[in-house]
Amino acid sequence: MADFSWFGAGPIAGQTLRTFGAEVIRVESEAKMDGLRLGQPVPKNEDGTLKSGYNMSGYYNNFNAAKLSFQLNLNTEKGQEVAHRLIEKCDMFLTNFTPRVVKRWNLEWPHLKAINPRLIAAYQPMQGLEGPHRDFLGFGAVLTPVTGFTALSGFPERGPIGVGTNYPDYVINPGHTVVAMLAALRHRNKTGKGQLVELPQVESVVNVLGTAVADYLATGHVQVQDGNRSPIMAPHGAFRCADDPDSLDSEDRWVVIALRNDVLWRAVVDTIGGGAADPKFDTFEGRKAHEAELEALIGTWTRDRKAEDVMEALQSRGVPCGVVQNAQDMLDRDPHIRERGYYRYLDHADTGRSAYDGPAMVLSETPGELDAPAPLFGNDTMDVCERIIGMTSDEIADLMAEGVLM
Amino acid sequence: MTERALDGIRIIEFTDFTGAYCGRLLADLGAEVIKVEPPGGGHQRHTPPFYSRLAEPDNSVAFWVHNTSKKSVVIDLESVDGQAEAKRLVLSADAVIEDNPVGWMAARGLGYEALRAGKPALVYVSITGFGQTGPHAAWAYTDIVGQAMGGIMTLAGDPADPPNQLYGNQSDVSASIQAAQGAMLALLHAEATGQGQMVDVSAQESLSMSQETAMMYWDFQRHNRVRTGGKSIIGMELPGLGSYEAKDGYIYCMVLAPAGAEFPELIAWMDEHGMAGPLAEEPYATLVANLNMRFLSQLMVNPESAAALPQQMAVIESHLKAFFAALPAVEIYEEGQRRKLLIGLVSTPRDIAENHQLRARDWFCTFDFGDGNTVEFPGAPYRLSETPVEIGRPPFLGEHTEAILAGLG
Repeated sequence: MADFSWFGAGPIAGQTLRTFGAEVIRVESEAKMDGLRLGQPVPKNEDGTLKSGYNMSGYYNNFNAAKLSFQLNLNTEKGQEVAHRLIEKCDMFLTNFTPRVVKRWNLEWPHLKAINPRLIAAYQPMQGLEGPHRDFLGFGAVLTPVTGFTALSGFPERGPIGVGTNYPDYVINPGHTVVAMLAALRHRNKTGKGQLVELPQVESVVNVLGTAVADYLATGHVQVQDGNRSPIMAPHGAFRCADDPDSLDSEDRWVVIALRNDVLWRAVVDTIGGGAADPKFDTFEGRKAHEAELEALIGTWTRDRKAEDVMEALQSRGVPCGVVQNAQDMLDRDPHIRERGYYRYLDHADTGRSAYDGPAMVLSETPGELDAPAPLFGNDTMDVCERIIGMTSDEIADLMAEGVLM
Repeated sequence: MTERALDGIRIIEFTDFTGAYCGRLLADLGAEVIKVEPPGGGHQRHTPPFYSRLAEPDNSVAFWVHNTSKKSVVIDLESVDGQAEAKRLVLSADAVIEDNPVGWMAARGLGYEALRAGKPALVYVSITGFGQTGPHAAWAYTDIVGQAMGGIMTLAGDPADPPNQLYGNQSDVSASIQAAQGAMLALLHAEATGQGQMVDVSAQESLSMSQETAMMYWDFQRHNRVRTGGKSIIGMELPGLGSYEAKDGYIYCMVLAPAGAEFPELIAWMDEHGMAGPLAEEPYATLVANLNMRFLSQLMVNPESAAALPQQMAVIESHLKAFFAALPAVEIYEEGQRRKLLIGLVSTPRDIAENHQLRARDWFCTFDFGDGNTVEFPGAPYRLSETPVEIGRPPFLGEHTEAILAGLG
């Protein structure tokens, strides 16, 4: 797979395919450096200062494990020729550069199809390859508001503040892309024909907010922010527990509780007692009618208890309840994640032993694995030129001298 | 007849909230996805919002969104006959997708081990809150529990509020998207080798990647990222970063990000409206010219370097606020983008329905429920040139029971 992508939505799709066995060549250049290579976090030196350089960013590394890094200047005509020779050898192609850049680099589908009719070429434009907003700029941070996440998430009193991350970049868009590429691969297996896979990121993301949009289209109702509540469950929210000084920089601790039915409510009453036993809370309708009072009552009970203890107590009675976990919990304190071995630890030449997200789909017979850390910038240029493209050493030397390869 | 990418693949689905979107993705791509539903339908069929021109259990818009293009067969899995019928159905198929509590399917003779014996090529996709193994495998799960345990809620919201859930059952949806990738990988392997397998998806793990940089911050620096509300990751108010109230809604501004035009372009636009105030002149002109990603990176490494700036920043911010408040949100979005400024509309569902790009590209589709009863509906997440995605209307409860079960012979 020729991975001409950058930032999150593209590289993560490439990483998933790499995890399940594809060889993924990440094409990079200093002229159009992946912003994540320059991003945070980076490891610290022994004196507490931050390390620097193209290979230190955890943000980049976590999305590019085990890929080859091929340094190629696509702003030159010869660089574009090399790109085409690479694509000729590949089964798949992926890019999330804007249609403008894709055109400038001569990577548009009609051209690639002529070079390699078996190619599955996936493009992830923000808005689409056509249309009046085609050249609009954006990435996860702008997609979140444009698609409706921001208007629909959070507390109404607080206004539209977003969801704290570039959420659609990490699972929604790369995941949809991989599904479509694999479907296209199946078609190719049957027919020998490649095809164009277009993932307009706005269309992909609106899809997972479909209920709000479909609600408006079907009924005319415009859904708005409703905090942590649910139309079908009560209580449904986050409740503050006792602070935990061991939870570094994140001492406030919370659990979520979600009550699916009245039987489970009995289990809560048996656990917390007190005012919860009031019969007005016995039914969903009753709990919904007195929701603020109900939330205050539960919050009072949780406030001086350890979050993990609340979770254990309610889960032991079958009540959906969970700690609002931070990264420390995810990596170090959650015994379940540890036992399942979700996170992988890989030795990286510059960052040392570092954590990587594993695949979230566990296949029993063909399990995914990350067999190497993220590549150092340009580490595999020679290998890709010789082994994959089949260049001679003279040719490589010339292109290096001309600044096409680096 | 149009070729579909997943032509000829039959999938039997036993899902309610968590796994239904997985089946939907594959059904829209052409797989025959048969949803086995209990008498009366599962919980999602009884979930609002409801469409008034149909009756329960066929009128749940929430159900539609996760169940397009499928067929519906009602089988009572609490009866021995029903279990036998379901098993025969599965053995006619290439894959199973299920989202029941761990052990629930096995207790009805429909677990992976029991089925693979009769069909070694079977792909069996299980989607649960915590996965099939581990100390929490049997724990109770709903979407918000996944969002909490998967590490994304701690990052969302204002520090003065409880952590925020994301709208739209994102834990369920993420698990389904991960599962759909796993299903495709396993189906391709089965078609190539005849070997089936189990695909185990945990919603909690499905969300981990969406922690963004939080996981790596902990790994590298033993620092937990927390929710910072509307403020940037740096934790200070920076002009041109975040939501602004427009005349009739909200817009989201990311002019500091490393893409598109930089701050002076925004000031020039304000100047055209006579609203730049002192920002086009010194000392602001120089400051504004330097408000970019390099500046931001410097702040991240050394927050103290910004100590002298807050007062000037506040002046810039107040002029930005006044400017945006004077213009309609859609105009700010479209004109800002025309100027290459990284600005988004804080779209409401109505804005999405009216979005000029989506309309121009004919993205929406239409369901025909019969008797002149048609409803517009959101389109697909992707477009495939040779094997197009086609979104069929969601099935009525039990609509295909007779035909499908008769086909089993």
